[in-house]
Amino acid sequence: MTTLEVVEEEERTQTDYNPDKGYVAILGWSLRAIDAIDRFDRRYIVVAPDWAEDYAREHDIPFIPWNFERLNERSHELAMRLKKEGVDVAIPLFEEVVEWAGAINAVLLENPRLLGQSMLFRDKSLMKRRAQLGGIRVGIFEEGRDKGDVIRFLKRVNQALLKLDGDPNDPIHLKAFDKAGCLGHRMIQTPDDVENIPDDEFPCLMESHLDGFEFACEAFIHDRKVRFLNISEYVTLGYSVFIPASPELEKWRSRVTEEIEKLIETFDIDFGFIHPEYFVTNDGKMYFGEVAYRPPGFNAFELMERAYGFNAYQGLVLMFDPKTTEEEIEAFFPREVVDAKGHAGCFGVYPRRRVISHLEIPEETENDPYFEFHELMSPVEAKVPKRTAFGTHWGLVYFFGDDPHRMRELLKHQEEVDFYV
Amino acid sequence: MTVEVEPLPEATSGRHLEELLDQALGRLESARPFAKASYQGAVLDVARRLAALPGGVEALYQRIGRLEAAGIFAGSDWAHPETLQPILAANTLWYGDKQTAALEYLSEIRFLAVAGGDLLSTELTAEQAQHFLSQVLALNLNVLFGAATEAQRVRQSMPEAVVRNLYVYLAERIGYENILDRLIEEIWRILAQRPIQVDGVKAMIGQIAACMFNPEVDLGAAGRGADRLISALYGPTLGCREDPGLGVYAERLASMDANALAQEAGGFARAMYDTGLVSPYHPVFLRHIVERNEELLPQAFGLSSTGKDALLCYQGLVRSLIREAVHPETSQAVYGLALLLERGILYSPPIAPALWGQIALPLSTGNESVLTSVHGTAHPPRVFLLAGLLCVLGQPFGIGQGNNPTCQTARALSMWAYNDPDYLMQMLVWAARDEEVVMHFEGQALSSKAIAADTARLPPLDVDPVSLVLVPHLDRIYMEMGRRCADRGQDPHIWINPEFHGWWVGRGCRIAVDVASGKLSDYPDFVREFLAVYHPLYNGNRPLIHPQPAGIAVTDSQGRFVGWHAIAITRVALDQDGGMRVFFFNPNNDSGQDWGQGVRVSTHGRGERYGESSLPVEEFASRLYLFHFDTLEPRSPQAVPAELVTSIVERGRQSWGEKR
Repeated sequence: MTTLEVVEEEERTQTDYNPDKGYVAILGWSLRAIDAIDRFDRRYIVVAPDWAEDYAREHDIPFIPWNFERLNERSHELAMRLKKEGVDVAIPLFEEVVEWAGAINAVLLENPRLLGQSMLFRDKSLMKRRAQLGGIRVGIFEEGRDKGDVIRFLKRVNQALLKLDGDPNDPIHLKAFDKAGCLGHRMIQTPDDVENIPDDEFPCLMESHLDGFEFACEAFIHDRKVRFLNISEYVTLGYSVFIPASPELEKWRSRVTEEIEKLIETFDIDFGFIHPEYFVTNDGKMYFGEVAYRPPGFNAFELMERAYGFNAYQGLVLMFDPKTTEEEIEAFFPREVVDAKGHAGCFGVYPRRRVISHLEIPEETENDPYFEFHELMSPVEAKVPKRTAFGTHWGLVYFFGDDPHRMRELLKHQEEVDFYV
Repeated sequence: MTVEVEPLPEATSGRHLEELLDQALGRLESARPFAKASYQGAVLDVARRLAALPGGVEALYQRIGRLEAAGIFAGSDWAHPETLQPILAANTLWYGDKQTAALEYLSEIRFLAVAGGDLLSTELTAEQAQHFLSQVLALNLNVLFGAATEAQRVRQSMPEAVVRNLYVYLAERIGYENILDRLIEEIWRILAQRPIQVDGVKAMIGQIAACMFNPEVDLGAAGRGADRLISALYGPTLGCREDPGLGVYAERLASMDANALAQEAGGFARAMYDTGLVSPYHPVFLRHIVERNEELLPQAFGLSSTGKDALLCYQGLVRSLIREAVHPETSQAVYGLALLLERGILYSPPIAPALWGQIALPLSTGNESVLTSVHGTAHPPRVFLLAGLLCVLGQPFGIGQGNNPTCQTARALSMWAYNDPDYLMQMLVWAARDEEVVMHFEGQALSSKAIAADTARLPPLDVDPVSLVLVPHLDRIYMEMGRRCADRGQDPHIWINPEFHGWWVGRGCRIAVDVASGKLSDYPDFVREFLAVYHPLYNGNRPLIHPQPAGIAVTDSQGRFVGWHAIAITRVALDQDGGMRVFFFNPNNDSGQDWGQGVRVSTHGRGERYGESSLPVEEFASRLYLFHFDTLEPRSPQAVPAELVTSIVERGRQSWGEKR
């Protein structure tokens, strides 16, 4: 016998899945998601760009290389290929593949409406109009095609607020139509701010600023019903979040549930996972901000796992799979808030100085009993690029503890310390 | 040296971190092989913090099997331990980023578990693991001694104490015998620099002695060079050869005749001058004869005619200093006092009264508690401070910065001890009694009390008592001077150095780097000017009169830039082979360093005085980036040969000046 083994030419055939359950296609490459789903009982295949192919092959990850660009006529080709493969449903991991999932699922589930639905999720302006049509309260908004539109909108909004010349403007918000989270999100207060907007950020959505507080939700939906609703408390938008939310925010839960049910009706959502953002103004009115049909950023799934102990990626699969049973769902999700073992929070770090030499976790942070660990990178360059818009953080710092108020203060305080010196 | 560990807040308690580690480890364990990398970071971060706590290394050792099985090394070079290199391993702990350093830390613990048979490895035999660790330890002896190099300190990925914990843990388990010979060589090399702080060295000699006298340890041929070290500490004379204990020895002294006592005196002095170490028996002897046989003092201090004369002129003072400051716990003060007498500084009028003043000086309660926390309660804190002062005055170049990153203050202390000792003593009075030091900067008074301490920085604890009391004040003043020059667009040392150190520092200052761009600027001119000022062949054979602060671009053994470092040039003179050398004081704790390109800093054997470092002038100049000079002093740069300048510039450009 030779020591050479015959190299298995074919893709790995999973053996540890339940054949009575659905076969899911994962759109996008995320090792944590794939890891969680590999450990789950559903058969899966990853559809992701070809740069991930070698890694997938090396580790026997079922894989179809696919370069997602703008949705194009090849979506049908991919849908047919997955249909032939026996896939039941496609699950998007990132904003960019949401409409691909819609197009594919329209074919796989023989429901053409799903494509149109996904387009609503991908266009912030369409999304807002649809919400408005459905009787959901939204702020003032307009589409902007160039800087002139932005200045006009800024002026109109402030005129409406009866501001005089020379009064500081109320800010407005600009969001790229189709970007996830804080990417392409900027706040505009003066005409100078307008000058700094790069041309490639147009067209965009312009919104009035609302004073109050903003929060996000993660809703797991199956059979048009909310199966698990997490409310994420933003301490500071773009910096920090923790779950479950504090009692002050959680007291809005029933209102939030109602609002999400409105979204389910208005957007005709049968199944899946949505991540909407809401705004509560000082007079207690709830405004819809936007909604995404994919896992949220800021590692909210990790926070959910830390607080509740269930894996949210597996929950995602459960929601998309048409073969999921009621019993499975009931067994899978814990009870909201009461079953949480504590509050899990994280803080996104941006260097505060212009020139830095190294990463140094502040002693007070490292010694805090709530501090768990960080995923910060050592700086490669000494000069910190100027932060445009809300930008991307340099990594996350994780906290866990019992007291939501202490958590909030702790996360807030992190904004005042240097992680890069 | 041991530092009392303060009680820790809840978060940093080992228990809490062990739970966090288990949690992160649980996630790593459950992850599929392809996703290990995304969960390793959390484990490494927690492990790194755990390592810093008492018992942390042990807690990691207990989990090392699980950690390896969970895949902490997966996907990295550490997944193949058989291919790891001790030399790289030794450096990774210092120079790797924090995660890589933590990985290396765990890897070394894994080697230990394999070596001890607690962990079975398919890639590694126990013997291989043992051999690997011996080499790592031998390469890191300086860390075991608590004497990290400049490169290690600047680039440290982990606090020195954390790394030392690991090495002590490894060394205790792997056995010192394997590394003994390297160790002994290293001890002699360090002692040749006559540091004031010898606690680490003494601890190591203690370890060696314990090994050598342990019948279960088979040293073979190793350890032969240790005899002299061990006897210098534990049995330097006939009367205490077999280390009888201090009490027994004191009794023996009482029954010795004059001849026997004289023999003892000579034995102690020889051992002391031979090694720079003072046996705890030596103070017992001195305290005995100072009351009964004072005529033996010169012998017991090993004094030359100069020292003897100083002793006889100031007999009352010396007597008081012995009674006050010389105890077995402060034995090094004997060496300090001996050298103080030899230096003849007592003939300078302010010194003797200042010492009398110091003997009677009341300390502030804050200083008392700091001194007690570091040196213990065997004697009142003022005793340790006085003993420390004797050492500093006797061995100005023996001062080390400890683990304190500001080398400037250590350099200043050394310069004052050498050059202006009564000024140093006055500063010490202010700091020790009033907890306030006032210096002047460009006509304005700067009080250390008024300047907020940098709370992020803990006062250094691993330094001599004088530094312990003075450095926090000096650091603050130094920082404040820096702040006041921050917006001048030039290197602040131009203004700080003369004001901070003393009138003798030249007001002229040349710097090889353009501060704004970080690029070399007029580098050949800089080098030429330096040679014209300092090189006796080109400056009209004018000797350097006072030590001058200078700035060095420290490079590692590959010649790569590590950081800026403050030193003091003490002399430029010929060595025994006729080579022109720059002699300088480096406030780091061990100056023997390899700066790459064949530039190896010499600490003995090339005409250095104790504690001085030296390099051939052209090698020194190739690492220099800042120096001071007297603007009025005539100089003729054109006298400096162009080839000499070019060769120095080349070396500089190819090492620290690369990409500048």
